[in-house]
Amino acid sequence: MKPETKRTFKVAVTLSLICSVVVSALAVGLKSIQEEQKEAFRQQSILSAAGLWTEGGDPGQLFKDNNVAAVGINLEEDKQEIGDLSEAKFDMAKSLQNPDLNRSIAAADDIAGLKKIEKYSIVYEVKDGETIKTLVLPIRGKGLWSTLYGFIALDLSNIANGPAAIKVAGLTYYKHGETPGLGGEVDNKLWKDKWRPHPEVEGQKKRAVYPFDENWNVVVEVSKNATTVHQVDAISGATLTSNGVTNMLQFWLGKNGFGPFMKNMAETAAKVDVPETASLTSTTNK
Amino acid sequence: MAEPTAKQILLDPLLNKNPIALQILGLCSALAVTVKLETSVVMAIAVTLVTGCSSAAISVIRAEIPNSIRIIVQMTIIASMVIMVDQILQAFTPELSRQLSVFVGLIITNCIVMGRAEAFAMKNGPLLSFLDGIGNGLGYGLMLILVGCCRELLGSGKLFGHNVLTPVTEGGWYPTNGLMLIAPSAFILIGLIIWALRTIKPEQVEAE
Repeated sequence: MKPETKRTFKVAVTLSLICSVVVSALAVGLKSIQEEQKEAFRQQSILSAAGLWTEGGDPGQLFKDNNVAAVGINLEEDKQEIGDLSEAKFDMAKSLQNPDLNRSIAAADDIAGLKKIEKYSIVYEVKDGETIKTLVLPIRGKGLWSTLYGFIALDLSNIANGPAAIKVAGLTYYKHGETPGLGGEVDNKLWKDKWRPHPEVEGQKKRAVYPFDENWNVVVEVSKNATTVHQVDAISGATLTSNGVTNMLQFWLGKNGFGPFMKNMAETAAKVDVPETASLTSTTNK
Repeated sequence: MAEPTAKQILLDPLLNKNPIALQILGLCSALAVTVKLETSVVMAIAVTLVTGCSSAAISVIRAEIPNSIRIIVQMTIIASMVIMVDQILQAFTPELSRQLSVFVGLIITNCIVMGRAEAFAMKNGPLLSFLDGIGNGLGYGLMLILVGCCRELLGSGKLFGHNVLTPVTEGGWYPTNGLMLIAPSAFILIGLIIWALRTIKPEQVEAE
């Protein structure tokens, strides 16, 4: 090998080594701080979906002030799971690698492209006294380039009137890799505002997004020409991301996601609400 | 030609040899991050630091870089610095990092950085190269701040997020100029600035 070629190799290898070491050392050293920041942003997204986030606020304090509580859920049995929420079984990343803690979804049901889902999940309840005002559910699903992770907040204040009275309080994504300016517009405040309920205004057709019909079927969708109260405008130039949003909402609010849990919750609440009238009707009916 | 002094190297790129206004380099990020002043300032600082430090680093090893791989070597050094800046921003200023999103990573594609490395750092000492990098970064930053000022003020009525012309959407009087919020406005503003600069300093006008 010519001496110049040898020298070229030496310089190239030395430079690559030095640069790699410096860059990796920095990345590894900063990783824990970055993880903290990501977790703080996740907490912020929960509050933002529920409409409780204020700029410069402290997530922990806002959780307390607004009576937001994390609740463990057993997704297989569709009921609350009591336990320490920092346990490994509630950790989604770990669950998806432990075959005891996850289950596969049949291909026909897997509209969000998830393949497996965890058995135990954590949802967030915003309570007003003893009643749940807002329920914040974690959602995720395939977009065009990435899996989008976010939260949907459901306003349950009218749930006594049936599932068709449940409104969407907000939708936020905290992690995704969609194209900035196209699919990435899921982060645009103007699009996120389309999910929030607006006070009744003269001449305005839609005031809120209603995800369910009377039979707990998920009818919410992101569509090109949103006209009904079940539809939200799609993002221009981002058809696949918009479809991904529809699919993940239909999955997580449906029978494989949190749908049965919400149905059980509503039925239990209904029974608790009307004990006296129930006993009256039973005597007359029997 | 007389050797340029350190002061000339540092201050020339501000008005006399502005990388955006005279050399027409580095336009893409100028369009993307100047919607708000805050992101313009952070981007300007990031590019200044990266250009200065990478020019200095390249200048230190310039005698050792074999000619056949010199562009790749420059790119490796610049890319490593850009990654470092990106990691630091993600760790310590996460909100800003989210707003700047891919554009910090795209500093490596900014022609100013490579341009100064090739045109100056390969032929001059580390201290002068560092000053040249900082000077060009400052020139770039000056343009960014000018454009960012106009776009944020006229586009949303704010400077650094604080209301100066209270927009109608927040109960004020100023109907915001939507054109200022999209990329073509940056092109138009940069064009106007170049026109003004060449009127004041006709020596910058290219010969026919």
